[in-house]
Amino acid sequence: MPVYSFYIFDRHAECIYKRRWLPRPTSIAGKPSRATDAQAGSTGLGQTVKAGDDDAKLVFGTVFSLRNMVRKLGGEEDNFVSFTTSQYKLHYYETPTNIKFVMLTDLKSPSMRIALQQIYINLFVEYVVKNPLSPVEHPGGVGVNNELFEESLEQFVTRVLA
Amino acid sequence: MCAHPNPTDRAGGLIYQREFQAGLRKLSTNDYLVLAGTFHGVHAITRSITPKLPLAPSTSPVASSPGTTAPATSGYSYPNPGVPATGLEFLETDKFHLTCFQTLTGTKFLLFTDPLTGNVDTIMNKIYELYADYVMKNPFYQLEMPVRCEAFDRHLGAWLRGRT
Repeated sequence: MPVYSFYIFDRHAECIYKRRWLPRPTSIAGKPSRATDAQAGSTGLGQTVKAGDDDAKLVFGTVFSLRNMVRKLGGEEDNFVSFTTSQYKLHYYETPTNIKFVMLTDLKSPSMRIALQQIYINLFVEYVVKNPLSPVEHPGGVGVNNELFEESLEQFVTRVLA
Repeated sequence: MCAHPNPTDRAGGLIYQREFQAGLRKLSTNDYLVLAGTFHGVHAITRSITPKLPLAPSTSPVASSPGTTAPATSGYSYPNPGVPATGLEFLETDKFHLTCFQTLTGTKFLLFTDPLTGNVDTIMNKIYELYADYVMKNPFYQLEMPVRCEAFDRHLGAWLRGRT
């Protein structure tokens, strides 16, 4: 059950954490050579990709518009849980403090609402919010990019969700 | 079951909207238009944020993937190679489900249902069929204009009433 990417947005609509997991390059050809395997290992699972900020902004725009749309139709306490396209599934969880957790997975994955809640309660609160050195707000990802949080998120996604 | 089909045209304008059972909040006509326009934009964005998976660099993807629509030549593939990337198709919330069906010509049908309603695809296909029969085949219907076809209203209402 591959997880493609994971985003955290704060209440100022800023992306404070972003991580992508690239599955091993899919070689459709019959026999992948040794060299490609080695390369696949190095660029494989768990690599943080420093790409442009654009996709985070697009993801935020989508999630924000859909959330407003759902609230308009379903009432203030309604919230959207996930949506699917023909290629991926996007899961959404918003905390009472308006921090938004977004995860993109493949189509076959079950509802990730509990998983995102777990990430918030067991990882974000424990390692970011309770960290005495971490600021209250996280402009540019300050305080979220600490080693413990990243490491445990990595483990959670690769071991628990995989 | 509350169904709520809204065909939106290719530019995101709402051309038909009807509520069959109360369940969702009642909005003004203007709000529905705004909603349809917003959805149109979001639909396009959801297609563009499709994750791109890198292909193994040494393989020759062009020769190895005949017939796939994934842009293999540029070094990445979509998670579901062979299926063209589409925008949002199904949205789940606590209170309702939204199914979006896009026809080949780009008209979108949005169906809002209760989370317990099953067989949404069947409903959607029937609505499309009725739309083709009573709207598109109506010689007085002007393309991209609001749908005002009495026969469509009647048949749609009758069919959905027969289902519930």
